[in-house]
Amino acid sequence: MRLTKNGKQTAALLGFVFPALAFYAAFMLAPAFGGAAYSLTNWNGLNPAYGWVGFANYAEALTDDPAFLRSLAFTAKFVAFMVVLQNAIAIVLAVFVEAMGRSKAWFRTIFFMPNMLSMIIGGFMWLFIFTKVSSYLVEKAGMAFLDRSWIGDPSYSFYAIVIVSLWGGVGYLMVIYIAALQGVPRSLKEAAAIDGAGAWQTFRRITLPMIYPALTIGVFLTLNSSFKAFDAVYALTGGGPGRATQVVALNIFEEAFGFTNRYGYASAKAMILFLIIFVITIVQLRFMKTREVEA
Amino acid sequence: MSRRYGLAGRAGASLIFASLVVAALFTLFPIYMGVLNSLKTEGEMLTDILAFPSKLQFGNFADAFEKTDYLRSLGNTVVVAAVGLTGIILFAAMAGYKMSRTPGKLSGFLFGLFVLSMLIPFHSIMITLVRISKDLAVQGSTVGLGFIYIGLGVSMAIFLYHGFVKSIPRELDEAAVVDGCGELRLFFVVVFPLLLPVTATIAILNLLWMWNDFLLPLLMLTDSKDYTLLLSTNMLFGEYNNDWAAILASLVLAMLPVIVLYLLLQKYILNGIADGAIKS
Repeated sequence: MRLTKNGKQTAALLGFVFPALAFYAAFMLAPAFGGAAYSLTNWNGLNPAYGWVGFANYAEALTDDPAFLRSLAFTAKFVAFMVVLQNAIAIVLAVFVEAMGRSKAWFRTIFFMPNMLSMIIGGFMWLFIFTKVSSYLVEKAGMAFLDRSWIGDPSYSFYAIVIVSLWGGVGYLMVIYIAALQGVPRSLKEAAAIDGAGAWQTFRRITLPMIYPALTIGVFLTLNSSFKAFDAVYALTGGGPGRATQVVALNIFEEAFGFTNRYGYASAKAMILFLIIFVITIVQLRFMKTREVEA
Repeated sequence: MSRRYGLAGRAGASLIFASLVVAALFTLFPIYMGVLNSLKTEGEMLTDILAFPSKLQFGNFADAFEKTDYLRSLGNTVVVAAVGLTGIILFAAMAGYKMSRTPGKLSGFLFGLFVLSMLIPFHSIMITLVRISKDLAVQGSTVGLGFIYIGLGVSMAIFLYHGFVKSIPRELDEAAVVDGCGELRLFFVVVFPLLLPVTATIAILNLLWMWNDFLLPLLMLTDSKDYTLLLSTNMLFGEYNNDWAAILASLVLAMLPVIVLYLLLQKYILNGIADGAIKS
């Protein structure tokens, strides 16, 4: 009796899980394990035969591929800017918006709006701003500080990419921080005010520690999304001029689906990207979770 | 306001308000410029990019409508999202519910297997995914693309359903079983309607993701008659590189459905976003 009940339970479990598992196995698990395996081969799109090459792809990517290493460095710089700026701006916006009365809903709606759009659309729209509108403003409105080659000069196009990515991403984090701020008991802030704490002190000593768990999430999400950044860069610069603004995701894409079709080699690069994201986010979560407890 | 935040009175409050207004203008600026200039002729745009159009003209839109094959692209996007969303919600709800209710190692292992992939970036699977999709003959079709989204999307949905089911009292299932309700009927008639709050969150998150995803359709849809809105827009941009009047009109057309949806459902969307992020 007991056994049949267990058997039935297992059958029901498998029956309910099967449809999800079938799709998941075909389009997620198989490519994930397949990618890891292919990264050890010299598989390319042109030649149907391929063989094992061990870690040669990894060695080549890390020692003999200046374009890949440059894209890693470029991405690292981009991630650093995004983690700091995106979270700082989102927190400031959240605190400011929360301090508003009736206009709160309006601001929230506006700041979140870019998140609804694909960064391909946003990127093209900003491309118009950076090329046509900015040159017009320089000429006709005398805004000389805009007189840069925002897209053509890599040292400025880096900032163009950061600006567009912030524009597209800040609202999302702001919504998360607003939710966290609403969880901070008002009595705590009032008590601090009675004790004579100023606005900054209240924020630093009460609000910030209370929303620390949201900060963990915010930094995690930013790390995750900016290491994988693709759309905004694709739309704005396409990685150019040359490969000067190529992020890792674009480098992998080009390696696999550009002219060389070195699938095995591109898989190795993709594994490197995965390992970097994995290690950094695990370290970040560990580090911030322990601080969460203290705070 | 000053009472609530202990800010330095009215001056501080208006300063905050002013800075929010500046930030809001900055946020809306590219969208505003896009819409504004899509309503001008190319010549008018060149003479004064900031000015209002002297006369509203929709020629650019007619142009972009035709060049992106708008209705067909929109239809393709809807097919992809509908197939993906139906599969994700149905299959993930079934799996998440059952795994949450069944104790034991097998159930725990399966759940672990689904959650495992949540950290894997898309770029790490895309190359092999293209090959597998060719082998399974799902490449080059909008329905096939929807199938792939099911495979990629169930993880997070299962995670959310799994957590939510815990808040539904078990006695409910048991009562239904006593009443002679079969497993499937129990799920669809009793349990699934109770999952509605988390289903709404999952629907919003996944709809946005699929609607705005660019890279996967780019890899999977080879024939321009299958193109989604984003792919058609991208194609138009590539072909008419400097024809900004047409490009801007196509961008406005591409964002129109999302903006309308947002303004109608923003309360649910904003709550869903916050919910989804905090729980996962």
